[in-house]
Amino acid sequence: MVKLPEKNKYGFYEIRMESIGGMGANIAGKIIAEAGVFSLGLNAISFSSYGSEKRGTPVKSFIRFSETDDEIRVNSAVENPHMLVIFHENLKKTLAVLAGFKKGNTVILNTDKSPSEARDYLEIPSGKVVCVDAIRIASEEKTKLNVVMMGAISRVSGFLTPEVLIEAMKETFGKKYPKLMEGNIKGFKRGYEALKIQEFTDDGKYKEVAYEVLERDVGYDNQPMGGVILQIGNTAMKDLSTSREAKIPVFLPEKCIHCGLCESTCPDYCFVFEEEVVDGKQKVINKGINYQYCKGCMRCVSVCPVDAIVEGAERDYNVDDMTVTLTMDHRINPGVINE
Amino acid sequence: MPDIKPQETKFMTGNEMAAMAMNQMNFHVMGYFPITPSTQIAETLDYMKANGENDVVMIPADGEHGAAGICYGASTGGGRVGNATSANGLLYALEELPVQSGTRFPMLLNVVTRSVSGPLDIKGDHSDIMYALNAGWIILMGKDPQRVYDFDVIGLKVGEHQDVRLPVIVASDGFFTSHQKRKVKVFKDNKDVQNFIGKNKPVYHALDPRHPVTIGPYMNEPDLINNKYQLSQAMDKAYEILPQVLKAYGDVTDREYTMVESYQMEDAEAALFILNSAFDTATQAVDELRKQGVKVGVVTTNVIRPWPYKEIQEVFKNVKALAVCDRQESYGAHGGNMTLEIKATLKDDPNNNTKVISRIYGLGGLDFSMSDAAGVLKEAYEAAKGEKDINNFDYIGAYPGKEDYKGEAFNFFKPLTEEEQSHGKIEVIKNEETGFYDVKGVSLRKLGCVPKRITSGHGACPGCGIFPNLNLFTKGLEGNLVFLFQTGCGMVVTTGYPHTSFKSTYIHNLFQNGAATLSGLVEMFYERKRRGEIDVGDHFTFVMVTGDGGNDIGMGPTIGTALRNHKMIIFEYDNNGYMNTGYQLSYSTPRGATTATSHVGPAQVGKTLFGTNTFHKDTTQIMAACNIPYIAQVAESNPEDMIKKAVKAQTYANTEGLAYVKTLSACPLNWRSEPSIQRDVIKAAVDSCFHPLYEVEKGITKITFNPEEKGKKVSVSEYFKYQGRTKHLLKEENKELLEEIQGEVDRRWNRLKAMDENACL
Repeated sequence: MVKLPEKNKYGFYEIRMESIGGMGANIAGKIIAEAGVFSLGLNAISFSSYGSEKRGTPVKSFIRFSETDDEIRVNSAVENPHMLVIFHENLKKTLAVLAGFKKGNTVILNTDKSPSEARDYLEIPSGKVVCVDAIRIASEEKTKLNVVMMGAISRVSGFLTPEVLIEAMKETFGKKYPKLMEGNIKGFKRGYEALKIQEFTDDGKYKEVAYEVLERDVGYDNQPMGGVILQIGNTAMKDLSTSREAKIPVFLPEKCIHCGLCESTCPDYCFVFEEEVVDGKQKVINKGINYQYCKGCMRCVSVCPVDAIVEGAERDYNVDDMTVTLTMDHRINPGVINE
Repeated sequence: MPDIKPQETKFMTGNEMAAMAMNQMNFHVMGYFPITPSTQIAETLDYMKANGENDVVMIPADGEHGAAGICYGASTGGGRVGNATSANGLLYALEELPVQSGTRFPMLLNVVTRSVSGPLDIKGDHSDIMYALNAGWIILMGKDPQRVYDFDVIGLKVGEHQDVRLPVIVASDGFFTSHQKRKVKVFKDNKDVQNFIGKNKPVYHALDPRHPVTIGPYMNEPDLINNKYQLSQAMDKAYEILPQVLKAYGDVTDREYTMVESYQMEDAEAALFILNSAFDTATQAVDELRKQGVKVGVVTTNVIRPWPYKEIQEVFKNVKALAVCDRQESYGAHGGNMTLEIKATLKDDPNNNTKVISRIYGLGGLDFSMSDAAGVLKEAYEAAKGEKDINNFDYIGAYPGKEDYKGEAFNFFKPLTEEEQSHGKIEVIKNEETGFYDVKGVSLRKLGCVPKRITSGHGACPGCGIFPNLNLFTKGLEGNLVFLFQTGCGMVVTTGYPHTSFKSTYIHNLFQNGAATLSGLVEMFYERKRRGEIDVGDHFTFVMVTGDGGNDIGMGPTIGTALRNHKMIIFEYDNNGYMNTGYQLSYSTPRGATTATSHVGPAQVGKTLFGTNTFHKDTTQIMAACNIPYIAQVAESNPEDMIKKAVKAQTYANTEGLAYVKTLSACPLNWRSEPSIQRDVIKAAVDSCFHPLYEVEKGITKITFNPEEKGKKVSVSEYFKYQGRTKHLLKEENKELLEEIQGEVDRRWNRLKAMDENACL
């Protein structure tokens, strides 16, 4: 049996993955834990934060390793991970991804940033910061993001060797999707190799953020009776930009014929159509896209008859400058909430 | 005598272990209906079946009530039957439970515990399982995946014992156990499991022509009490036999369980009693407190029916104070059911002086942390010392909220006025000659700026079809709306507390009952209006929104509502499956399609069900047979057509009665299809007449888009080729199946054309 590199006071080595539904963190967690159990002689549990969340919404996946065969008695979420793996850098915008992270531990981030940029972006107090441009590698190798991230996890962990993880991957994907295995292994290997790693000492620049169980402002004293919601349409305060996987629709107003097809196909109601007087006539005009809600499905690109909406790579654009919001709706509190 | 049979190590969840047990025991029949978090049991069993690992006949019921009926019927046939459910599924099936036990047919039901609605919560607590306490079933509690498997085997053996003959529930914690992968052991050889449970020897069964029997007679006094006395005795017998079976199981597996399990109880002055997964967390808290010299222990039970009263009395006999933690409450009784039963049990021991306090924890899936456990243990310890006054009853984890919180400050929109919701851009004209309506002025561009009824920020998957459909449909509706959504993706992604995407009033009810619920509200509106309790000027259009799943389980109430012809609209988004629970087959799933409960494998080609004529359900024609004033099929590929039909639906719903409109709604995630191309996928369904566009206005059928006339007709494979779930149907080996489907699509289309041509049809 291999020895775990570190253990907390209960004897566990813990990994927390912060991800988005559809990126495969849950399955990666299962593969990694399974490899630990069958190939490394460890004991493990693997589980995820479940809800009725759909593709594109934040999800956490947890692995808890132990060297003994005794029942792993802690069922709850990993609060202080030895290794924190972040599948999408935009998660930082809406979630306290670093909550519970202890000084000196390890963060793996999917990004094209350098480790020192990533440290400042995530506000990491100290520890090992590992950056991997997993989106690029995954798209080049035509594989899933999670296999690239597993490559990175393998190298950084030290004990989850590539051989055992690739073996476990074959066990999970190999039977169902044998054709994809070659790309998966390539993606894994590049994830293993293409890392930018830097250690940061505790220079006091950033503080640890405590892990907190979610508690809302609304509780039993002020929750409207029966669970009724008195607000109107307040999901409009949410920022859904983390649902996008690197692609955005780009609106080219000069080509637009204002036919309304994009507005009719957009599931997220991102298109802003407004009545205006043009050349002395009352006309309905397509003003553009509100990227706060755009999940990057590209339905609008596909449906546009005149190529006035085209696909672009999000990293090439500043969506905040491009965002258009309604001027004639009934907003009285146009803030954005963080959860 | 120990005779350990070979075991194999696996890494599995509680749900996978339940499926594994049923797979190895090779049940005859499983009747089921998907409900989170128990769904994976049927899914895993079906996956194993598709790979030829078992011969279990999987029967996808129309709801949990139907599933329980299927299981009951099958069990009267003398074979082995299994089912799995959770929460409202268990409650919907509840009336069948005493039938099963009262007529004494054993079966196995895995209950993956979850909070009972409402409001709807899909996470784990014990509010569901406690409803089964009085049902006459043996109830074992599987606190971890290993026990789920072991207790499935043990439970069935006890239930099938000649002196017992009772059905069995094995309850495990939703998500905590059902979805957590752990290192576990299973029998290597299925035969060893089958030998352990032995042959099922039904006392009576319905399939013996030489011995006809009457099962379930009409039985009043003075006989019923004797039937129940027998049941009571059978439960006593189970109490006697269970330890023997636990012992025998230990002999073949080296995993021997006791009825009640305890940790550090030998010298404990105070203790905690807690069921299932939270027990492990509590043992860790005991270790921490013991380090500080606090003498505490923790107890759980592996069985709650029959109730282990002797073991409970024994384990607590020297404990000064005991905190019973319940993951549910018997509201008004100041405790959950375990508190009440343990208090009663200790009262029966004349030498017992234990002080019992009750704590409600973990409702709706709230985590029970080690500090929660330590907190309760400390309270019990303080109660034991008599140093402090400790509340007899309290909740752990409920909080008051911020004092200065002002909900309104977080409001985002002002309510839309009726005028703002009435854009007046569309004209409806009644043709006085025909009595039908003409709709004019529908332009996508003009309607692009109409205020939306549902706002952005909902959590649907990228490319989801529900929201383009709702957007288009509601563009045709003017004035105030009241929405009722049945359970499904559409409601889950729009109303995650404390947020809502709705700008109108919205109601949710469970998806077997939405139509009935809204019909009640409709009649309340008209009656209150008649009595002058609602302003004369105030009007609403009532719109129920359901998926095809909601109209499987809720078909009965939908038909009932149609037959009563209430003034409302039913809008169905049919995405060909149960998507909210992860894509299990619905009756609308195309024949042959792969789903999580109709896998493609060496032994099975996707959805086949029984017989040769189980093609995708034609809900629209079922509704047409109810003779309601307006019926239509719409699709986002023909947006103006959809808006026109929405206008008509509203017109009829406000004047004559029920309007039913069905759209085919894309689910790129589960159809395994690129989100960007979904309008093309829907177009292919329309052009192939898999989903023809037509309306039935006061009994007269009219095709509103005829792809043949436009030279656009394509084969059904055009619809299938875009989707990973149906692509395999285009392969050579499935040619016959594809032809059968095409034949059925053509038959329905030709019939529709005949109806279009002939007003009498």
